Amino acid sequence: MSANTVGFATLVKREMVRTFSIINQVIWPPVIQTLLYVFVFGLALGSRIKDVQGVSYAQFLIPGLIMLQVIDQTYSEGSSSVFQGRFMNSIQELLIAPMSAAEIVFGYVVAGVVRAVFIALLITLLGAVFVHTAPTNWGLYLVTIVLVAILFSSLGIVFGLLAEKFDHIAVLTTFFITPLVFVGGVFTSIKFLPPAVQRISLVNPMFHMIDAFRYSYTSTGDEPLGIALGVVVVLTVLALAAALLMTARGVKLRT
Amino acid sequence: MSVPALRIDDLVKCYGTFAAVDGVSLTVEEGEFFGLLGRNGAGKTTTINAIVGLARITRGTIALFGHDVERDWRLARGTVGLAPQEYNFDRYLNIRDVLIYQAGYYGLRGAAVARRADMLLERFDLSSKAKQVYTRLSGGMKRRLSLARALIHEPRLLILDEPTAGVDVELRLELWSLLRELNGGGSTIILTTHYLEEAEELCDRIGIIQAGKLVALDSTRHLVGAGNLQDVFLELTRR
Repeated sequence: MSANTVGFATLVKREMVRTFSIINQVIWPPVIQTLLYVFVFGLALGSRIKDVQGVSYAQFLIPGLIMLQVIDQTYSEGSSSVFQGRFMNSIQELLIAPMSAAEIVFGYVVAGVVRAVFIALLITLLGAVFVHTAPTNWGLYLVTIVLVAILFSSLGIVFGLLAEKFDHIAVLTTFFITPLVFVGGVFTSIKFLPPAVQRISLVNPMFHMIDAFRYSYTSTGDEPLGIALGVVVVLTVLALAAALLMTARGVKLRT
Repeated sequence: MSVPALRIDDLVKCYGTFAAVDGVSLTVEEGEFFGLLGRNGAGKTTTINAIVGLARITRGTIALFGHDVERDWRLARGTVGLAPQEYNFDRYLNIRDVLIYQAGYYGLRGAAVARRADMLLERFDLSSKAKQVYTRLSGGMKRRLSLARALIHEPRLLILDEPTAGVDVELRLELWSLLRELNGGGSTIILTTHYLEEAEELCDRIGIIQAGKLVALDSTRHLVGAGNLQDVFLELTRR
């Protein structure tokens, strides 16, 4: 029997309904936070910092802030939607329907990608208005956002499945995602860091994502684009495979 | 001979070393109204979960209208509608959309689905609440919504897990009337309930499950005989 494309599309639509019914939790916070970062770090403090990678500090900051919000929102929304579905048992509506694990996972992931692109475009617009910067390579801009959104939506599914309470979902955000993103090149080029710390940064996965994305704005980065994108592709494939495998096995879904 | 609506062969479902369902075999014919009775924890809901795919089968087979629920899961799941014991509606959708999105998960969409959703809301007296979320409904309305959702994709088999638990007498009688009407229209129904008079009133045949094993399977008339179902049930399920 053929794939249930209507079921998949229905799940994507349902996730969009959820997103816009909690817009003050999903869409506006990243926009407001970015505005605050731009004003405090970019415009107020940034005037004291010389150019970074050939652009003003505020212009350097924008792509990092977009990645910060894409990572944060895709993970938190992916994980909370799956966990809430398990907690309220509403995910059983999907589990008893003729939908495969792939259709369910891709439904959540595609919704995460759409949400990420929407948030990224809003922040891009802020960058254009307040900092007069825009992507120079829209293809790379889109590819990187899509890959990173797939990666963190998949991780969201994995942790949404494993979590026993909302607190467990916050573990990844609090102890890994936020610290690694902040030291991963959002606010500064790693070339400004001591050599030993620069070497440590190379094993920080967030550094590769931010660096790859920054190429779409500045056409330059701290490492070759191929390496940065390669790392992102490998991590995305691994996270997606984990989400598919766990859903297919019914981990914490089917008893 | 026609293919049965449900055929369970030697079903075993274990959680670790505990067998929640232990060697259950039964057949439900198309058009039948079948009651699955048992005490709390006897294995009724686990059996239902195995039928609809919410529980993985440890051993044995289950087929819905000839489709194995594990090998031909997509075809099998399309034939069955479940009204679960606990409310599990999507809190982000209004109740009309609860029906329309559920149909979507079953691969159905378009004007026909919207019409069917409206028809079911009308039939279950929920039209005036169509734009509200389920949390604003009364207990009885939630039960009716659960039934409407189970019917949205026009399943050939309807499974109702304690559909009248916690509802008042008037609504229970109303639900009985609805279920009779559905069964009369050709739907096969499997019902679990703790209200023995409900099973006696509605079901053509009854299976009684005790500690995961099927301890009785007969027509309601045979099972009750000259006595009443309560005495038979207590006798068979005495610990």
